[in-house]
Amino acid sequence: MAKWLVSGPPILFLLVFFVVPSLIMIVTSFRFPGEFGGLAPLVAPAGEVGGEYGLTLEAYQFFLSNSLYAEIFLKSFGVAAATTLICLIMAYPLALLIASSEKRFRNLMLLLVLLPFASNFLIRIYAWMIILGPESVLSHFLNTILGVFGIAPLTLLFSPFAVLVGMVYVHLPFMVLPLCTNLEKHDLALLDAAQDLGASSWQCFWRITWPLSLPGVFAGSALVFIPVLGMFAVPEMLGGTGDILIGNLIKDQFLGTRDWPFGSTLSIMLTLAVLSIAGLATWFARQSGGMKYAE
Amino acid sequence: MNLRNFYMVIFVALLVLSILFIAGGAGQEEKTISIARERNVLYLFNWNNYIAPDTIKRFEQSCNCELSQDYYSDNEEMLAKLAAGATGYDLIVPTGNAMDSLIRQGALKPLNKSLLPNLKNINPIYLNTAFDPENKYSVPYAYTLTLLGFNRKKMQDLGLPTNTWAIIFEPKYLEKIKGRVTVLDSQRELMSAALKYLGYSVNDTDEEHWNQAKKMIIRAKPYWTAFSNTSYIRELAVGNLWVAHGYSNDMFQAALDAKRTGRKFTIDYSTPKEGGVLALDSMVLHQSGVRPDLAHQFINFMLDGKNSAELTNLIGSGNPNMDAMKAIHPDIIRNKAIFPDKKILARLEMLQDLDRNRRRLLSRLWTEIKLR
Repeated sequence: MAKWLVSGPPILFLLVFFVVPSLIMIVTSFRFPGEFGGLAPLVAPAGEVGGEYGLTLEAYQFFLSNSLYAEIFLKSFGVAAATTLICLIMAYPLALLIASSEKRFRNLMLLLVLLPFASNFLIRIYAWMIILGPESVLSHFLNTILGVFGIAPLTLLFSPFAVLVGMVYVHLPFMVLPLCTNLEKHDLALLDAAQDLGASSWQCFWRITWPLSLPGVFAGSALVFIPVLGMFAVPEMLGGTGDILIGNLIKDQFLGTRDWPFGSTLSIMLTLAVLSIAGLATWFARQSGGMKYAE
Repeated sequence: MNLRNFYMVIFVALLVLSILFIAGGAGQEEKTISIARERNVLYLFNWNNYIAPDTIKRFEQSCNCELSQDYYSDNEEMLAKLAAGATGYDLIVPTGNAMDSLIRQGALKPLNKSLLPNLKNINPIYLNTAFDPENKYSVPYAYTLTLLGFNRKKMQDLGLPTNTWAIIFEPKYLEKIKGRVTVLDSQRELMSAALKYLGYSVNDTDEEHWNQAKKMIIRAKPYWTAFSNTSYIRELAVGNLWVAHGYSNDMFQAALDAKRTGRKFTIDYSTPKEGGVLALDSMVLHQSGVRPDLAHQFINFMLDGKNSAELTNLIGSGNPNMDAMKAIHPDIIRNKAIFPDKKILARLEMLQDLDRNRRRLLSRLWTEIKLR
């Protein structure tokens, strides 16, 4: 009884603020867009014959009518995968360092990882626009060096590179934190034992630390991959003329185009894609036996 | 109680609090309406930075009321918020096409012109637009032109023309300014520039013409550095950009910034000879407003030349008010990119709203443009 009292409110919260909106979104995707935005009425107003009312598969047909949308999905998944991989490569050594330091330093370092959250996300992205801008110190320095080798100057801002930098920067803490939580729980006696039995430090890492940290790796990857998929502000601010991701496309449907049904269709497709990837990943992890260390 | 349970309790407490907070928010609307009736508050849904602070102060003194503003940065955002159910606004300042859609939705209240004696100050060429014949619902507030801003020195050095859309669409010019050009991140505005350059109307909805425009945009795209709606102001002013497709009041700001920071170049702007978009913003009364009395008072106040001129002097907006001319800085009056002469005016067009199928089609073209 007490269990339900405590877990009731969060379950209710999820029901109200996740399930209900999702259902609304599903219904919306089967309706006609309204002339002025919003939705066309389900039932034709009295006296009007014909017109577009009721339910329709139109938005889904439109989605499938052109390979364009599939391309954007692929591209967004590519960006999300690259961001996740870079975050993992950068966060892992950092997390190892933090987890293996003394307790008082550990808390300080964790605080430093969290510190960027103290200032607004958009302001931090604006800061990157200054850092990467063509007249910035970084650009000048880089292009002077490139100039020595006779390479044409590079523009850093408004490029896929800038988008990746922004994405990694924003999401790095989400990778560091779960990794730290996992790594600091490792039993150091295992490493001692391995060393006593003649394992090199590389073997210790690959055969003990890494497999044990897989739950942290999966958690961190999910926390990075999924938000990156939906992110629209970073490509909009740092991206060039070709940097459009699903997030931008969905946002466009609700603001620029005022096409709620198609925006909902895109969102549903995105949710389905994420769920199937999560499902595949879990299945794959089970098959490969990676999870057996975790359980 | 162990630690885990303790956290759980805290978490649940926060959830309950946030639910209460949201529930409280639902009652908010009723409350604001009753407050607006009791305390004199006028709710204005306006563009960012679209009224001078001094003007607000004087209005509040003259009406013995309070002006409360919410902001939007484009018409689509404003329409989307209203479509999603935003209410409580006495006044909105939409551009023609957005106003058109608001009128057809029946979302506006007709004006009572007997309360607006200053309406005589408006130049008749800005009255009686196709969107609102006889100005039943709207009073012109200010206007903006979509045009090209450029770094005068760079353009002279490179020997490039500055009076044609060709500069952002023709590879032979773009080659010299590659990576130093931005265009607006707006489906309608960029399409309009392309259609005008091809010799069509900005309101042309022929799919074939749209495809021509799309091809031309995709051909020019590799030379552009970004689609930008606001950052071009700063980038032009510091010298990173040499040409930008943008709005006249933003170019006014960029030129001012470059001058104030003592740059060695000047930022100029002009309407391309092929013509472009004129966006006339008007004051309208939203159905959800509860203080039409204050709203009329505000409109009449803004129709006073002095008050209207203040906005133009601040942000370089175009001004449809004849009585304002004497109070506007002479440099601004002389600027043809802000006050176009008859010849230019004849080539400018106002955007009309697209129907839902055209909007969807344009959105697909736009996605294609971005992806290719």
